[in-house]
Amino acid sequence: MTKQIQDAYIVAAARTPVGKAPRGMFKHVRPDDMLVHVLKAVTQLCDGLDPAAVDDVIVGCAMPEAEQGINVARVALLLAGLPDSVPGMTINRFCASGLQSVAIAADRIRLGEADVMIAGGTESMSMVPMMGNKVAMNPVMFKHDENVAIAFGMGMTAEKVADQWKIDREAQDAFALTSHQRALNAIKQGEFRQEIIPYTINEKYPDLGTHQVRESVSVKDTDEGPRADTNEAVLAKLKPVFAVHGSVTAGNSSQMSDGAGAVVLMSESAMQRFNLSPLGRFVGYSVAGVPPEIMGVGPIKAIPKVLAQTGIKLDDLDWIELNEAFAAQSLAVIHDLGLDREKVNPLGGAIALGHPLGATGSIRVATLMHGLRRHKMKYGMVTMCIGSGMGAAGIFEAL
Amino acid sequence: MNNAQFIVRKVAVLGAGVMGAQIAAHMVNANIETFLFELPAEADDPNAHVTKAIEKLKKHEPAPLSVKSKAAFIEAANYDQHLEQLKTCDVVIEAIAERMDWKQALYEKVAPYLGEQTIFASNTSGLSINRLAQAFPEALRHRFCGVHFFNPPRYMHLIELIPCEQSDALMLDNLESFLVTYLGKGVIRAKDTPNFIANRIGVFSLLATMHHGRESGLAFDEVDALTGALIGRPKSATFRTADVVGLDILAHVIHTMRDTLPDDDWHSYFETPDWLRGLIDEGALGQKTKRGVYQKVGKEIQVLDLAENTYRASCGEVHDELKQQLKYSKPVDRIAIMRNSQHAQGQFLWAIHRDLFHYCAVQLEHIADNARDLDLAIRWGFGWEHGPFEIWQEAGWKQVADWINTDIAAGKSMSNKPLPSWVQTISEQVHTSQGSYAPVTGTIHQRSELPVYHRQLYPDRLIGEDATYGETIFETDAVRMWHTGDKIAILSFKSKMHTIGKDVLNGILDALKEAEKNWQAMVIWQTEPPFSAGANLKQATERPKPQHVEKRVPAPPSLFEKFFKQFKKSAQATVLKAARELDMADALMARKLAEVEAMIDQFQQTSQALRYSMVPTVAAVDGLALGGGCEFVMHCDRVVATMETYIGLVEAGVGLLPAGGGCKEFALRAAQTAVEGDPFPQLKKYYQTVAMAELAKSAEQAKELGFLRPADTIIMNRFELLHAAKLQAMTLAESGYRPPLRMRAIPVAGNTGIATIESMLVNMHEGGFISDHDYLIGKKIAYVMCGGDLTPGSLADEEWFLQLERAAFMELLATEKTQARIEHTLKTGKPLRN
Repeated sequence: MTKQIQDAYIVAAARTPVGKAPRGMFKHVRPDDMLVHVLKAVTQLCDGLDPAAVDDVIVGCAMPEAEQGINVARVALLLAGLPDSVPGMTINRFCASGLQSVAIAADRIRLGEADVMIAGGTESMSMVPMMGNKVAMNPVMFKHDENVAIAFGMGMTAEKVADQWKIDREAQDAFALTSHQRALNAIKQGEFRQEIIPYTINEKYPDLGTHQVRESVSVKDTDEGPRADTNEAVLAKLKPVFAVHGSVTAGNSSQMSDGAGAVVLMSESAMQRFNLSPLGRFVGYSVAGVPPEIMGVGPIKAIPKVLAQTGIKLDDLDWIELNEAFAAQSLAVIHDLGLDREKVNPLGGAIALGHPLGATGSIRVATLMHGLRRHKMKYGMVTMCIGSGMGAAGIFEAL
Repeated sequence: MNNAQFIVRKVAVLGAGVMGAQIAAHMVNANIETFLFELPAEADDPNAHVTKAIEKLKKHEPAPLSVKSKAAFIEAANYDQHLEQLKTCDVVIEAIAERMDWKQALYEKVAPYLGEQTIFASNTSGLSINRLAQAFPEALRHRFCGVHFFNPPRYMHLIELIPCEQSDALMLDNLESFLVTYLGKGVIRAKDTPNFIANRIGVFSLLATMHHGRESGLAFDEVDALTGALIGRPKSATFRTADVVGLDILAHVIHTMRDTLPDDDWHSYFETPDWLRGLIDEGALGQKTKRGVYQKVGKEIQVLDLAENTYRASCGEVHDELKQQLKYSKPVDRIAIMRNSQHAQGQFLWAIHRDLFHYCAVQLEHIADNARDLDLAIRWGFGWEHGPFEIWQEAGWKQVADWINTDIAAGKSMSNKPLPSWVQTISEQVHTSQGSYAPVTGTIHQRSELPVYHRQLYPDRLIGEDATYGETIFETDAVRMWHTGDKIAILSFKSKMHTIGKDVLNGILDALKEAEKNWQAMVIWQTEPPFSAGANLKQATERPKPQHVEKRVPAPPSLFEKFFKQFKKSAQATVLKAARELDMADALMARKLAEVEAMIDQFQQTSQALRYSMVPTVAAVDGLALGGGCEFVMHCDRVVATMETYIGLVEAGVGLLPAGGGCKEFALRAAQTAVEGDPFPQLKKYYQTVAMAELAKSAEQAKELGFLRPADTIIMNRFELLHAAKLQAMTLAESGYRPPLRMRAIPVAGNTGIATIESMLVNMHEGGFISDHDYLIGKKIAYVMCGGDLTPGSLADEEWFLQLERAAFMELLATEKTQARIEHTLKTGKPLRN
């Protein structure tokens, strides 16, 4: 099946903590600055790497405009101090952007046309809202009924999935609560310590009394999303947001977030050249399309596809990072594919940890690579549904 | 006090309780810098208490703030850290709890920090101002007085101003002027007697009502049916008002009267009845505890039934014959009808009026300067249409006085105290065009000569005062154009609720022609609110009210029903009915649908004429300005609005869209304020306002929503409205007025704009938030406001948009569901979701 001539290895993977949007700890932190931060971090993690050897930097971003516009990959790599000779490319596959960037980077190596690649993702949902700063829909969407669903909000598609898969409110809320409990526990156990590179926020604001500029410096090293104060009763009280008689609430949906992640990939020869050892191996990646109105079930198509492609069985997977866009779609995917709930998001998911759209893929690759190694597991997967009806799934092997 | 111009730069309100915080809110509504003081909190933030009170203002109902964002302008302060700030305040209002010792302690604390000219006023309702003054340093007492706000202070017009013996006369004048213009209030000077004027009379009226209700064996809900709108008082009448005020508060006020008025001839009635005490003991304090005289169980309103000692469904009804008599009688005959009624309800109504009149006549000289002050205090403080003396005078002063005397002699009245002699000596009037009777001097007292009142060209008129407005220029059944002796013409509508029908449209167009011929400017001003309830949705459907028929006449079948039956079978029946919104009955009868559209066209032409006439047009707006009324406001060159102006384009609520230029105007404004050429971000905001039929709940919010422009003026006092509007009109006229050049290149949002809005509608529709028909209406409005299916950015003119408005209006009118909505609204007055 695969026509690769060499393997691509993950040599370093790191991320920022994830902040809540639009009023969280990173609300005033630029997404390009967060990207600079993780690019610097992963290059430093590769001790001995000649930065000029980086063949390309590929960064995913779901709303690549304004603070994260003008090819944020190239801008950030230059600001991160990488040499002019290193190129950069921003790519967009909505919520899978940060995984897609890893796949493209891996493929360049696997094809033999590159030896050192950096992949990543960044997103500030505080600064660039969902749908971007200017929404301008194509009139043709509304001329034909079959295209109307392109205009559906993500929450609406989750309602459709809940409806068709008969996933009730209680199940969704229970799933959400588990996500928070697992995330809180993971933080307590220090599970994220390896992957998170603490971020120092410098802010300047006016002291109106003294007319001086006041500077504040704070260091953030923990995900902001998980809530210790949530429980069944609190979740049950929330009103459906997207449909009058719906079941999808703010509590059982992923959180809007800010964050960035980056991964260094190398060929075996490059690792030897720079005397670096791998965290793991990139095994394979697939994407697949589904009807836009039930976009949440994308992984149901993408996961079997990547398994067939790589020849790996579902049972071989020890750990599955399934992006919790919504509890409804997560449960639909788990149900249809018969996933083992214990293997899915053992450290919690996007409902608790947040979902900074285009950054999530790279962030969860970092979680998976470190997690697999820490827990002495072998195969893991990062998978997610994608707006307008797609699914993506990538398989990694810990070494 | 010196005579220099009195300017209030800053105000401090001491006490962040319900009243204090709301007074502070109203200060910032009026753009007055305000400190709100409260005791320091023990928490980390010493301002925690006051900050919490300010936060609460945003959620309080009815809203004390004109817009929520105003809360940020109230500066939180506490007595530990910020007393120095008092030095910068020209007026300090103390509004802490009604405890003499607390107030005294506070006065001692703050007095050293008051500025040299600072006025210090206590907002008390129960304590003696002179006793409070004793607690205030003697050297400052000339700057001390009482100001009694009524709750809720933003909405209640009355403030009682109570001097202490040492209060400086100029200080009082300055304060009164400030309260009138800058807070928009009606100020009544009261004497330092218990409960002052409004509460003294109002609470007496309540006690008399309770007394006679009990005597007549009337249930609480029956008393409320009798003492509400039927006799010109607020709908909440007697006991529902008591529930809203709080039964504990009511008992407190009654106790104040009992304790402080031992010599009052009605003193024996100043007691809380057992049932009231019982409710209070049970913790049933009215609305705030969800149970009082009334309670709501599910959707049912229940009333306390004393006989059964339980709650039952509220069903109080006025006896039919009495109701018809009172409804269709001349006001002058109403008191006689009550007195002559054989029905217990009629006797009850006479008795409460008789004893109220009796009490007012006896107490007037003790509590107020003159009869006008008493009547206005009741009107402004309790929301009655007319004060007691007005009602008495209207019913025939001497006749009613005789009846009262007869009842006193017969031992029927609550007290046998004789009416004061002045009642017999004055002629037929306590209120005259020259002024109102003042028993202390035995003369007629004119209205105040304070310069601030020169701004009130037409103050709140009392029955008995001259009620003519200037010189007529021309007058029809629908409008009157007039002037006050200068070159500004004033146009006032005569229709009920100042709705706009064909006749009003003709009137406006004729007035503009006349204005261009002979006048410098035209102001649209109504003699009383509302500005306009919009296009005439009801006029054709209402049976003409027989105004002066004493006998009950069989109600003629509603015109609406007649039309409805006639056309029901025809395919277009309901279309026609709907179009009657524009008072198109005649055209509809003849089934000339083309005429319907022609009349919408006339509506639009009228809007455009207001904009493009060669003389400036100024809309002077107070109260509601809905639908067509709103569109006219938007098309005048300038708007002067009172803060209590409620503007909205509400057509979507009845399944239509604004077609008098409203959609066009918003598209135009979006284009004019477009950032970097893209009108859509602004248009989207306007779209939501129109599609959600959003109503601005203050003039300030009307600016936020875009109904008013930044240059439009907001004033606080509605009686100053005409004055301010005329000056604006004059300013425009004298500044070389030319109408704006016609916009011929309005960039449209086009098909991308429509699609982007539709993407929102699709989600709301899928989510069940809007119906199929809502979707259709929403889409039509989007179509019109975006300029139709055009390439975005292409250029259209006003007529393009107006034509889209007309077409979309007719299309919606042709739908069954819009017809059903209009029919439902006409019948029930409520919106229909279908």
